[in-house]
Amino acid sequence: MKNLNFLFAGLFLTIALPFGGLLLSSQIQLGSLSRAPAEEGGPLFPAREPGLAIQGRAVYRELGCVACHTQQVRPAGQGSDIARGWGSRPSVARDYVLQPQVLLGERRLGPDLANFGARAKSDDDIHTLLRDPHSAGYSLQKPDFAYLYVLSADGKKARPTERAVALVAYLKSLRQDYASPEAKLKQ
Amino acid sequence: MSQDPNYRRPPGRSPVSPSRPPRGEAQLRGPFLLCFGSAILWLLLASVLGLIASLKLHLPSFLNSECLTFGHVVAAQKNAFIYGWACNALFAVNLWLLSQLGRFELRNGWLASLGGFIWNAALGYGVLQIFAGKMNGFSLLEMPREVGPVLMVAFLLVGFWPIVAFARRPTGHSFASQWFVVGAAFIFPIVYALTQLLVLWCPASGPVQALAHSWFIQNLMLLWLGASGLAAVYYFIPKVLGRPLHGYYLATVAFWTYFLFAGATAPSALLGSPIPVWVQSVGVVASIMMIIPIIITAINFHGTLFQRGGWAQAWNSTTLRFVAFGAVSFTLAGLLNTVFSTRGFNATVRFTEFAQGQEQLLTYAFLTMVIFGAAYFILPRLTGALWPSAKLIHLHFWTTALAVIGSVGVSLVHGYQVGHQLLNPAVTMAQVGSSSLALAGSIFALLFLIGHLAFALNAFSMIFSSSAPADSEAQSD
Repeated sequence: MKNLNFLFAGLFLTIALPFGGLLLSSQIQLGSLSRAPAEEGGPLFPAREPGLAIQGRAVYRELGCVACHTQQVRPAGQGSDIARGWGSRPSVARDYVLQPQVLLGERRLGPDLANFGARAKSDDDIHTLLRDPHSAGYSLQKPDFAYLYVLSADGKKARPTERAVALVAYLKSLRQDYASPEAKLKQ
Repeated sequence: MSQDPNYRRPPGRSPVSPSRPPRGEAQLRGPFLLCFGSAILWLLLASVLGLIASLKLHLPSFLNSECLTFGHVVAAQKNAFIYGWACNALFAVNLWLLSQLGRFELRNGWLASLGGFIWNAALGYGVLQIFAGKMNGFSLLEMPREVGPVLMVAFLLVGFWPIVAFARRPTGHSFASQWFVVGAAFIFPIVYALTQLLVLWCPASGPVQALAHSWFIQNLMLLWLGASGLAAVYYFIPKVLGRPLHGYYLATVAFWTYFLFAGATAPSALLGSPIPVWVQSVGVVASIMMIIPIIITAINFHGTLFQRGGWAQAWNSTTLRFVAFGAVSFTLAGLLNTVFSTRGFNATVRFTEFAQGQEQLLTYAFLTMVIFGAAYFILPRLTGALWPSAKLIHLHFWTTALAVIGSVGVSLVHGYQVGHQLLNPAVTMAQVGSSSLALAGSIFALLFLIGHLAFALNAFSMIFSSSAPADSEAQSD
């Protein structure tokens, strides 16, 4: 290995092969995906996020929620995601086409949130979960986000800040409970 | 464990004068100490943040504020550890290694120092921005995107010198350490630039971002950090033992297979994710093929250490004790990675702390221990001083070794148990959390901090006491 040009040519290939073979080909395969109806003439999915949810996505990212939560449902046979009710079908690439920064996540210290909006009950429940998760029956390991709330003058009621409202709107917008051409809903 | 008994100049180079360090080493001193000194400071910061993060796992209200969320602390810790400690230390060690092996005299050291300064300034800004909440959602790319180009420029100024050293080496002969360092320094900036482009500046479509990010992480871990660490092991084992590597002729195969397959292992970290299945399969195959370089490096390293009392010699040498610890960890990390990249095992441990255990095995048990070993060899040569305290060296080794064995063990065992339990959908996430194991994690984090403080105290005492390097070098000889 005395020739520098030979060494560099080999090293260049070791970058070019996975970059071209895996990344570029995936981009070619998935890059043209767009919203699609579940059946002909039906509404397009994934639905566009409301403006407040887009602000909430920024709050989710800024708080670092992705350190503990994923947003992807694995297929049956790859873990128990569907069996434990985190989704009625596996996540597919089309579910993410509207997201400017895909927050799939790598670690689950809390539940998967890909379908949080589909299983959430009301805004108040989500606010309680964020402000005081232990009283809502959640794990003692879940931190509270009390700093997103302002206490009233008498100290008895907590009012959500705009960031809290946006975060709740975002969490409610998380849903993959529609059929897509690649993945039909589990009946 | 004592001062390294093999403290002598590399063969073929004689000092300019008996009371002065060789010119090449004297020119390295400034950039080396800037990068390595910064690295130690970043290591201390990462240790404190690591302790806070592990405390938050069982005391979630500890320092609970918008600035110090668990996500912020973990992201800042990882960035401080990888870019602050590991990268800075590797800039220094790689430069020294290639200068030694290529008889290279660094004539424009100020450029490397400038690069080191820019790197640390940009990193400091990026970490502060993470605490301010201006972060991205991709691990080790959390810093605001404007930091990326600055880090690139800094890398080219400080991290590219090994390639210059290799190109200007006076003899045609080359050694495995040189290939690995040149490969690492060549690949990292290209991969970093492409990933910045595909993830942050012109985002690719949907989950392709996640694939690009995973490609970056594997290249960062295996081809920049891992290859640089291997280069150091390839240098220090034969150097300190004073004998050639066992099966050295296989090192060429190890080098090319390592670089060929490592970059393609990325999709194996995304099994079950919404990326094409054929891409996932390629990742699994590449991960299994990585067994080839793992076995060859094991033959090279452990085969040498098993000959003629090599392990005993390693135990009695400060440098080699750390380096041998790292070499064993590398083999274990490689084997674990191969086994747990297969679909069945991966489905069990994915998203658990098992992955953190694997990462710590590679970045700490292997790389960081090797860097520590290298520091115990290089710093006395550059400063011309002896390590001030043997007790602190002992404390450093035992605390870090126990902490990393405990921490990795807990992450792997607990991660596997949790993953196995969660395969049963009737088991909730709250049921599998273990506060006692989280407490153990905090104890290990505290041990890391103690060990790093001991190392920092010893290293900085040595550096600051060497204001007159010529005199102290003569003394240590």
